Amino acid sequence: MNKNSPNLRLAGVQTLELTQRALQNEFRQWVVILPGLIFPLMMAAVYSSQFGRTLGLPGFPEVRSFLDFILPGSIVQAVSFGATSAGTALALDIEDGFFDRLMASPVSRVPILLGRLGGAAVIAAGKAIILILIFLAFGAQIKAGIGGALIIILTASLLVLAIGGLAQSMAIRTGSQEAVGATFPLIFVTIFMSSAFFPTSLMEGWFRALAENNPITWTVDPIRRLVIQGWSTTDALQALGVPLLISVVTVSLAIRSLQKMLRSS
Amino acid sequence: MSSGLSEMKHSRQVAAAICMRGMRRIKARPVLIVPTIVMPVVLVISFTGAFSSLTRIEGYGTSNIYNWMAPYGALQGAVFAGIGAVGSSADDLEQGFFDRLLLTPGSRFPLLMGTVGYSAFRALIPTTAVFFFSLALGMTVPGGIIGVLSLYIATSFLAVVFCLIGLVILYKMKTQRSLMLMQVIAFGALFISVGQVPQSFMDGWLKIAARYNPITNVLELSRQGFLGDVAWSTTWPGLVALASMSFVAGGLAWRGLKKLAP
Repeated sequence: MNKNSPNLRLAGVQTLELTQRALQNEFRQWVVILPGLIFPLMMAAVYSSQFGRTLGLPGFPEVRSFLDFILPGSIVQAVSFGATSAGTALALDIEDGFFDRLMASPVSRVPILLGRLGGAAVIAAGKAIILILIFLAFGAQIKAGIGGALIIILTASLLVLAIGGLAQSMAIRTGSQEAVGATFPLIFVTIFMSSAFFPTSLMEGWFRALAENNPITWTVDPIRRLVIQGWSTTDALQALGVPLLISVVTVSLAIRSLQKMLRSS
Repeated sequence: MSSGLSEMKHSRQVAAAICMRGMRRIKARPVLIVPTIVMPVVLVISFTGAFSSLTRIEGYGTSNIYNWMAPYGALQGAVFAGIGAVGSSADDLEQGFFDRLLLTPGSRFPLLMGTVGYSAFRALIPTTAVFFFSLALGMTVPGGIIGVLSLYIATSFLAVVFCLIGLVILYKMKTQRSLMLMQVIAFGALFISVGQVPQSFMDGWLKIAARYNPITNVLELSRQGFLGDVAWSTTWPGLVALASMSFVAGGLAWRGLKKLAP
């Protein structure tokens, strides 16, 4: 324990340093962060204006407005933008040689990945706060109050780790920004094949089964209940637990890919 | 006169070589084209699956959700084909291959035309994938072969438009990450249109925005053969929208290229 503590502390410091570097990089190209905010807001505005009639369809959950209904989906979508950028940024480091310089330095291997993800997680939390404030300004309500809002923000950060781990794994395997960037639409579609934008109760057949078994649905549904029904500890734990479990798996996958790459080089 | 002709021939050859290089690149790295094929097909699955209940609402325009969503999915695929072509140019810029292309004697115009041509050809792939996939799942084509032709014209030219818009941004930002911005513009333009629901379903600002969005005209051009017969009154606004967008975006991209490589 004592022997490992300095190493762990050092890894922690290195992760923080690399998180700071990732954040500086993101803010230097702030225009790249904007789409992750603008796009979900735009979709929320569009869907609220075009799906008003669907609230009357039998099977649609009882909800005050489509804006309340779509709030969780919009946050998940915003997070997905930043998540892939954690992968493309790592691929850029590989392409431009910075990754090799990190490898030659005495930095531990895991913080190289965690630093990037840390930066993405901080930005995800920031995006979630901004989105919640904008939704509230346009009349949305979170029935679970500030506690519910905090759970949404934490879930957003955890979700970015889950998707970002996967993007990093791909970045290490391909070493190509273009290949990692090309996965973004697929993440977007995974969000569509969930309850993010429409209730699963109005879907049919195999698509409904797929949406009901999509981890995004397992994350969105409890958040939505916090928004439209009110506080529930079970919902809060589910909202946090699902992305946490997935991020453990995907980040481990990224670390394994890194170790494999280092062994083969 | 003959030097002018030989320069034109040379320009054509350069543009064709760049276009072919793009197609060969797809063959060499199939992972890059997989999302271009898979994504629009999955979008069709997503939209038809998630929003199938829309057809239960009176006035939707069709009782077959595939007839509504498949052309929309094909156009999404075409837009991503256009952006994908810009991605190849971004790669060339970042890797330094673009500098070698600049050593080509003569005008820079073929560099632009080659990329644009590549995007148009690339768009045929997702369009075909979406068409046959949706047909297999129950889509019908009441407009016949002309309806299908309208779809292909719309998708190829829309890929060109978004390729040109993407190049305008790329020549300004000079980074692969500009594609993210491009994806937002593309999705935005398609969403603020009659992509998922007819105008009669929309309220307020969206109804007005969709009405004046040129993508609405392109969508109506591509979709008409799947909702009924092809009509000239629906065709010409789509063609005019495509031509206008190509002209404006082409002019800006050409200006950007000249600034980047005088």
